[in-house]
Amino acid sequence: MDQAHQRAIAVIAHIDHGKSTLSDRLLQLTGTVGAREMRAQYLDRMDLERERGITIKAAAVRMSYLAADGATYQINLIDTPGHVDFSYEVSRSLAACDGVLLLVDAAQGIEAQTLTNLYLAVDAGLEVIPILNKIDLPAAQPDKYAAEMAALIGCDESDVHRISAKTGEGVPELLEAIVARVPPPTGNPEAPLRALVFDSIYDTYRGVIAYMRVIDGRIRLSDPIRFMATGVEVDADEIGVMAPHLEPVPMLDTGEVGYLIAGIKEVRLAKVGDTVTALGAPASHPLPGYREPKPMVYAGIYPVDGDDFPLLRDALDKLKLNDAALVYEPESSTALGFGFRCGFLGLLHMEIVRERLEREFRLALIATAPSVAYEVELTEGATRVVRNPTEMPDGGSIASVHEPYVSAMIVTPSEYVGTVMQLCQGRRGELDEMHYLSPERVEIRYNMPLAEIIFDFFDQLKSQTKGYASLDYEPVGSKASSLVRVDVLLNQQPVDAFSTIVHRDKAYDYGKTMTERLRKLIPRQLFDVPIQAAIGSRIIARETVKAKRKDVLAKCYGGDVTRKRKLLERQKEGKRRMKQIGSVEVPQTAFIEALRLEADGSKP
Amino acid sequence: MIATAPLFNRSGGWLADPGFGVYVHIPFCLHRCHYCDFNTYEGQDSLFELYVDALVTEIERWAGATRPPTSIFFGGGTPTLLAARDLRRILEAITRRMGLSPGAEVSIECNPETVDEPKFEALLAAGFNRFSIGIQSLMPHVLRGLGRTHSAERALESLAAARRAGVADLNADLIYGSPWERPEDWARSLEGVLGEQPDHVSAYALTVEERTPLHTLVATGRVRDVDPDVQAERHALADECFGKAGYERYEVSNWCLPGRASAHNLLYWSAGDYLGFGAGAHGHLDGRRWWTVKLPREFISAVARGACTEEGAEVLDHEQRGPEALMLGLRLASGIDVGAFNARFGDGCLSDRAGVISDIVGAGLLEQSGSHLRLAPGATMVANEVICRLL
Ligand SMILES: Nc1nc2c(ncn2[C@@H]2O[C@H](COP(=O)(O)OP(=O)(O)O)[C@@H](O)[C@H]2O)c(=O)[nH]1
Ligand code: SF4
Repeated sequence: MDQAHQRAIAVIAHIDHGKSTLSDRLLQLTGTVGAREMRAQYLDRMDLERERGITIKAAAVRMSYLAADGATYQINLIDTPGHVDFSYEVSRSLAACDGVLLLVDAAQGIEAQTLTNLYLAVDAGLEVIPILNKIDLPAAQPDKYAAEMAALIGCDESDVHRISAKTGEGVPELLEAIVARVPPPTGNPEAPLRALVFDSIYDTYRGVIAYMRVIDGRIRLSDPIRFMATGVEVDADEIGVMAPHLEPVPMLDTGEVGYLIAGIKEVRLAKVGDTVTALGAPASHPLPGYREPKPMVYAGIYPVDGDDFPLLRDALDKLKLNDAALVYEPESSTALGFGFRCGFLGLLHMEIVRERLEREFRLALIATAPSVAYEVELTEGATRVVRNPTEMPDGGSIASVHEPYVSAMIVTPSEYVGTVMQLCQGRRGELDEMHYLSPERVEIRYNMPLAEIIFDFFDQLKSQTKGYASLDYEPVGSKASSLVRVDVLLNQQPVDAFSTIVHRDKAYDYGKTMTERLRKLIPRQLFDVPIQAAIGSRIIARETVKAKRKDVLAKCYGGDVTRKRKLLERQKEGKRRMKQIGSVEVPQTAFIEALRLEADGSKP
Repeated sequence: MIATAPLFNRSGGWLADPGFGVYVHIPFCLHRCHYCDFNTYEGQDSLFELYVDALVTEIERWAGATRPPTSIFFGGGTPTLLAARDLRRILEAITRRMGLSPGAEVSIECNPETVDEPKFEALLAAGFNRFSIGIQSLMPHVLRGLGRTHSAERALESLAAARRAGVADLNADLIYGSPWERPEDWARSLEGVLGEQPDHVSAYALTVEERTPLHTLVATGRVRDVDPDVQAERHALADECFGKAGYERYEVSNWCLPGRASAHNLLYWSAGDYLGFGAGAHGHLDGRRWWTVKLPREFISAVARGACTEEGAEVLDHEQRGPEALMLGLRLASGIDVGAFNARFGDGCLSDRAGVISDIVGAGLLEQSGSHLRLAPGATMVANEVICRLL
């Protein structure tokens, strides 16, 4: 189809503001999907996503729309992941679009993640169509939020669409606005092929399916092609469109959105953001904006049962086929045995990976507290990246430590401004800007260490604002900080799984919490066991597990020899499953429990 | 002296030849104590006669191996809930069927409220020569907490009555470390019992056993759980008081005047052979252990039908007997006689464990003393730590 009748759009919305419902409605109104098929929400693929109400992987669908002007348009709806961890993916999806639908719940107003994505879209020069959804709700306040949106994107309040994705009210007008206001693509059909990969998934039967938009030139079936970032060269075995099922086509023209299957076995060979060009007449430059996926958060993941280590390795290898951002390498811990240090885009990504490992591969896992990557400059001049606190060199050899910072954006009702500021300041945040979206709602930006965010910041923010505040953040480089490694020692032996890197001012709190927690979890031994927290050789907190004084059966006579023997055999079996840390016997469950508390509990 | 030493050594040490025992179980009590998980029942007086008949029949028809017993033990339950003549009938059935070693120990457990001077006299006349009385505590509130229905006075009086009747071998059972016990309570119970100069004292740390009323009370938070540290202190206090009074601790929870250890219990700790008669009784012959049906009614009807009363059994192979004998023998202060142990259970048991044993010795928990291997003095109260490593 000619470029003038092409449109590619994405929906930017906060979780639950109605993106899926609106997508369904659009598919239905354009006749792309019949009413019967409609029941399933189309664009979300994995169960996990559906349960969490988030979209992890973007997909796209092509709709044919007969507009009021009598012409048929091809509208491509590109789905975007809705979470901060995937902001790079969002930016690539947006780069494949001509315009965005800014969808906001008329009872809630705009939230932080939506704002971030809106700014991304504006930066990319995309046409923004503001929409208030759920106007059928009694609690809807469309006038109030229309004013907020108009002020935000600099349009007239009357330009804000008011719809109900549920009842369909306002959606036909919205379709008209899409073809009228979103500009057609402007690529050059005669230039060498450049197609932007905006998503890539692994399918067990077909290998990698790369979703892309043809920006310049065209791609034909069987063309030899090259992925310009990875250098992978293959033939375009199958190209097609999603309408919504995969339908092969002989050619994708400039401006068209489609998929490519080329016998690729891992998604990391066809990465999001890469440019596909033709080998016959290659483009001289790839499309701008490609970035290697960069893990921001690291954690050790261990099987609860040490025998499951090979299973864990296989499971990670399988997930990796489908997840270009996941990185991992084996590591071992005295407390937890053999496992992997894994790198994730963020906390949500980490949670998703962990849940998939547990659910799809039936593994029982334990994760260490997440940490970030620190850049350590040594006094002798070299620089080292530390992803595991135990790798942190001795204080004496460190010239400086830089930690990643983020710009955290919080949108909150104005009554909680004080609370939020206090929370951020407690997390070493520096106020960057503050901006009233309306008299009742404020957008606040703080520069903060990422490490502070990944330590239950979101939970605290939610609970301290009764769930009203929303958060988003993006990396903004790194800064030198006064950081120290706190070790936890059991009877003078460091327990690696509990070493952590914290700001000097917080070392004592961490040490005290961990030692107290472990004191309650470590069974009494035949001798006193000191549990200490230390910075280098300096002890900052100490607890003692007192020696046990009685462990003997009061009675054993002729009538209960068998029972008593079984009792002792059980005790022996328990001992066999203990980990030996120096001379201290610790049930693995104690470490696991301590880490669990760490994950659930408040910040030490 | 010399002639009886090997067979009737009651010094309290591990026995190379433990002799041969008979245990009789009387599964009846007046009231069930709150902490009790023994096989015993209240309110079954109507079964007494049938039960005694059944026991006598069962003993008479015993077809397995026998030797003249070196010790007989009537336990329960409360054996003295039965009339002296019933107890005598049972005892006579045993001696008729298997004879009796000269100088054999014949023990019976008594509850204070079921004994008085005439009863002791009758039992002595019947042939019982060692009496074990369940005192448990001399503090009224502790007795109440434990669910004991007798008074402290009655408990003391029963000890005195036994002496007046001419009992020469007298044991008092005590319980310490219950949630109701204050430190001074335990000291006063010790003092009171020692005033009666028993020959032997068993003092047990209260254990909260499953399926007891006490367990429910603890599990639901209505009664504080026992504190092992407190119990360790109370044990130390007992050891000190008994020691000063001339008693020696020869097993984890047992103290005696010189030469007054319980021969029957020594047989258990020395992994000896014994027959068990009555509901829920256990027997052990040469590595085979068996137990009879638990309900008195079932026991009676099985005997009446001429059916087997055995409910279950286990046969320990050579590999298991040694460790079990270690588990029992290390409870004794004497420990095991290594030479005699090897002769009875083979060299393998100890030699296979030589590494572990030397580790434990190195950790100061076990010690080699002459021919004996025993718990180090400080290790008694943490014996499980040692024993479970040797299983
Ligand atoms: N009343 C009403 N509910 C809506 C409307 N649109 C979506 N919803 C409901 O809002 C919830 C979240 O919608 P969904 O489309 O799953 O949101 P998403 O997380 O943005 O995809 C669901 O319960 C929808 O039924 C609407 O226009 N009116
Ligand atoms: S008297 Fe002894 S056997 Fe009877 S209920 Fe009390 S503790 Fe149990």
